[in-house]
Amino acid sequence: MIEILKRLLRTPQGALGSLIILLTIILVVFGPWLAPHDPQAMSPLARYKGPSADFWLGTDQYGRDILSRLLMGGQATVVMAVAATVLGTLFGALVGTTSAFLGGRADEAIMRTVDAVMSIPSLLFALLIVNLLGSSTFNALMAVAIAFAPGMARITRSVALTVRKQDYVSAAVARGEPSRFIIVREMMPNVVAPVIVEMTIRISFAIMLFATLSFLGLGAQPPSTEWGLMISEARAYMHRSPWMLVWPGIAIATVAIGFNLLGDGLRDALNPRT
Amino acid sequence: MSLSYFLKRIALIFYTLLVVSVLVFALTQVLPSDAAVMMLGQNATDEALAALRVRMGLNDPIWMQYLHWLGGVLQGDFGTSLRTGQPVGPALFDALGRSLLLAFLSISFMLMLAIPLGVIAAVRRGKVADMVVSFISYVGVSLPEFVTATVAILVFADWLDLLPPTGYVPLLENPGSSLLHLVLPVFVISIILIAHVSRMVRSELVDVLHTDYIRAARLKGLPWRTVLVGHALRNALLPAITIVALDVGYLLGGVIVVEEIFAIPGIGRSLIVAIQARDLPSIQAGVLIMAATYSVVNFAADMLYAVLDKRIQYD
Amino acid sequence: MNNKANPPVLEVLDYSLDYRTHAGPFSALRHINLEIARGEVLGLVGESGSGKTSLAWSIMRYLPGNAWEKTGAIRLSGEELLQKSEREMRAIRGGRMSMVFQDPSTSLNPTLSLGRQLSEVLVHHRGLTKRQAWAEAEARLAQVGLKTPAQMMHRMPHEASGGEKQRVVIATAFACDPELIIFDEPTTALDVITARQILDLLSELQAETGVAALYISHDLALVSRVARRVSVIYRGEIMESRDVESVFRRPEKDYTRNLIAAVPNPARRLAGPAPENTGRPLVEADKVTVQYGRSSFIGSLLGRQQDQVLGNNAVSLSIAPGEILGVVGESGSGKSTLAKALTGLNPFSGEVRFDGRTIRSPRDMDKAYRRDVQMIFQHPDASLNPRHRIAEILSRPLDLYGLVSGAAARNEKIGDLLEEVRLPRDYADRFPHQLSGGEKQRVAIARAFASRPRLVICDEITSALDVSVQASVVELLLELQRQTDTAYLFITHDLNLVRQIAHRIAVMYRGDLIEVVAADEIGSPERADYTRRLIDAVPTPPAVEAGS
Repeated sequence: MIEILKRLLRTPQGALGSLIILLTIILVVFGPWLAPHDPQAMSPLARYKGPSADFWLGTDQYGRDILSRLLMGGQATVVMAVAATVLGTLFGALVGTTSAFLGGRADEAIMRTVDAVMSIPSLLFALLIVNLLGSSTFNALMAVAIAFAPGMARITRSVALTVRKQDYVSAAVARGEPSRFIIVREMMPNVVAPVIVEMTIRISFAIMLFATLSFLGLGAQPPSTEWGLMISEARAYMHRSPWMLVWPGIAIATVAIGFNLLGDGLRDALNPRT
Repeated sequence: MSLSYFLKRIALIFYTLLVVSVLVFALTQVLPSDAAVMMLGQNATDEALAALRVRMGLNDPIWMQYLHWLGGVLQGDFGTSLRTGQPVGPALFDALGRSLLLAFLSISFMLMLAIPLGVIAAVRRGKVADMVVSFISYVGVSLPEFVTATVAILVFADWLDLLPPTGYVPLLENPGSSLLHLVLPVFVISIILIAHVSRMVRSELVDVLHTDYIRAARLKGLPWRTVLVGHALRNALLPAITIVALDVGYLLGGVIVVEEIFAIPGIGRSLIVAIQARDLPSIQAGVLIMAATYSVVNFAADMLYAVLDKRIQYD
Repeated sequence: MNNKANPPVLEVLDYSLDYRTHAGPFSALRHINLEIARGEVLGLVGESGSGKTSLAWSIMRYLPGNAWEKTGAIRLSGEELLQKSEREMRAIRGGRMSMVFQDPSTSLNPTLSLGRQLSEVLVHHRGLTKRQAWAEAEARLAQVGLKTPAQMMHRMPHEASGGEKQRVVIATAFACDPELIIFDEPTTALDVITARQILDLLSELQAETGVAALYISHDLALVSRVARRVSVIYRGEIMESRDVESVFRRPEKDYTRNLIAAVPNPARRLAGPAPENTGRPLVEADKVTVQYGRSSFIGSLLGRQQDQVLGNNAVSLSIAPGEILGVVGESGSGKSTLAKALTGLNPFSGEVRFDGRTIRSPRDMDKAYRRDVQMIFQHPDASLNPRHRIAEILSRPLDLYGLVSGAAARNEKIGDLLEEVRLPRDYADRFPHQLSGGEKQRVAIARAFASRPRLVICDEITSALDVSVQASVVELLLELQRQTDTAYLFITHDLNLVRQIAHRIAVMYRGDLIEVVAADEIGSPERADYTRRLIDAVPTPPAVEAGS
């Protein structure tokens, strides 16, 4: 673990990504305590303010402090994205490894079906599910998880198939190892690393997808401080105060960049041969 | 490329559409809404509702309804919109045309920028140019379309007043104005794709530049430009064909957001309207058309790849 | 010797090269001196990491950015190459000096026709029009012995065989009548018989054109066949540069002496005497047939002939207890397929009898069979799980077959196993990537011997190793065999090696077993036609003087 962390920090992407994600985690966990104002407190006299000493990032249409709202919204946005991606990855990995393990016609049938489901754009798929189940935070989470599962199934399967062909697996088969051991001890450690890399990068997609769902009115609902929703609300007032729009945009982009960088850094760090 | 590979790919399109149709039909059945009520309104009499249900086959088992619907689709009848009372097909195909124009322009614009950027980054690997491209692409993939769209409207339409903020003008009616209205949407859709494709072109080209045959070509004394254009680029860009095709799924998702923001009456916006109105026949048809577009593009890409790359022996 | 009027074609004087790395400068070449006259072939022999390829890149002026040339000169016909600009070098590369690479399947661009890749050199260096170049290229292809040059011009690399491709590469190297050609292991990637033909072609073309040649190889026996003079390079230094005969007979340096001793020489038997014929064989394969390939649904709908690739065609052979049976053949001859069938990695038809038990499918192979039959793979990099420590790798057979109980006993046994293959006990805590190639293969050997098997299948286990490492691994195997009386199925493409260590040799060709003969009879003229061609194709090292 320590060795992997060291290698991660040695690459520029890994170091920068780790830094951004570490800061994000701190803000997500301690955000509510760090917030200088009550995120829902309206002050009609201080509406549409630009950054100032009192309101560092300015205020919104009700005079609420944008910084405090962003700090609160971190939980809604980031935690949800991570949870949805992990859920989607687990489900996808299950389908992918099963398919690779079964092989033959069953594998063909499963993967063709997965391909078919992938022909529906993730955003549309998520939109459909949220709309059918009703727009709520939990449903949005399920929607993103389900939308991500086929892609992760595909990746897990291809990694598992590559690993399956390696000589160390053949050696284990020739040694007479039970299938369970081969899958758990020989294959899994080598499958998990690339899947974690892919998952990390997908968290940034999930963040964007959540924000987009909220933006389209199908995710979080007012007065939530979800970042996508903040942008959606800010659009109506963008001529009066572009700050309301810019800050949550920067927040989304920064966290997404962080996960992208971290994923690329992990890719190098988790490769045992470099 | 063999005939059997070709037929297999065709069969795959139909299988894909079959799976998608079952999936979408099943999903739409979960909806608690009653299509008959939606068509006739809340004040309709029970008799009228019952009669309509019988006429629409709403009392049949779900699999019968599915087969009935599928039969219609195969004959080009996608049903009647619950929202407008008009046939779904013609309206959606009109919308699809507008979306395809947007998608085509976006892909062209994307390729025009992404390939040179990727090539520059690969050739100048580790140098400033590479880092700049890398930075741009990290930022690019991390900005959701609705953020870039909103900022773009704010900057280019409101502050600079260079371009129309939203709206759609048919191409044949007024080509100049039509294209002018498409500048921002195309730009917004392209950003993420440019970031993604340029990174991919870079990594493919870096791999190719490290192959033995590129070294061999250089040691034959060929000029660098000949080696890059004649030997390396073709091999690096071939895999790009299939990857760009897979990105079409992402592109179609982007189209939905961008059409909504820029008020372009394309298939994405129609779908959002249909989803918000819970207009089942329109949703079913719209998703099916999206999936079909994706499948056909990927089919075309695979065929193109197979023709261009004769190494691949398909079974 | 070095008169100004007629300088040698290539002259390397006191040349030193460093690579700048994160860990400080790495000295790749140190004070290299060599020269090659017109019409001469100089062999450059060294193991991996010796700097032989670095020297080739230095001469071609194709060095990576972190290269730092400290001293010396490299002259082509008296002209200093170190002072040439990149533009000037472009005119020289491919024109006045050219190169033939190891693997024709990677050194040719997969998406350009063979004709285009040959003719572009003529266009660029000799200023021919495309049409003229195409015609000239066709003539060149005929010169390198290709039967249908006109068709070959239009083929893509994947449509030609390895030998044909290498001929195209050679034609390209000779296309502009260069003064110097560097051959970088040009036959290593080819099958034995093809390699022999390519070697003959090279000698012929070289004699015809009088080109000066630097022939780089790890194979001393091979170099002794093409070059009259040889330079032995080790860790960036030339050990000795003399004529081949005297290097072989009276090596001056210890390194050279060890290198020569390590080269497999069929005249020097390493294995003990064949085991007494005790009657019942340990293993018998009876008409073992393996087929690859799966029918596709659409293919069968179209009534296509299914591509069933034959891996093994009714192979029958037997191995006595304690016997070393060598299996030789070219790539695709089915020798590895046989190994996979015997270890249950491939389904097969026919039957295998092991120690009296009959096995008809991989399902019949129980734990006792698995324990008795172990396999060692070609690439230790691939056969050792990169995420497991050596201790875990070695503990598997111990736990699986219930050979030890308790952590202390297990650790003790792992240490013993490591010592048995002459590795330090503390290697147990390392990961495979922290070991060298030879060390990794020793770990794989230790794993195979952990269960005290009665048959060990060795699938090309030395082919990824350097000659001297190979020799020590072979020595280890033979020692283990003497101690444990284990039988080996030793699969290799190296005929010289197998003649040294096997009691009997099975020859395979395209899935068929051609014949099984006693090792000392394989050279006899009564052998099958294919076996004779194989034996003829392999260069054997010149006799070494007795006592050395």
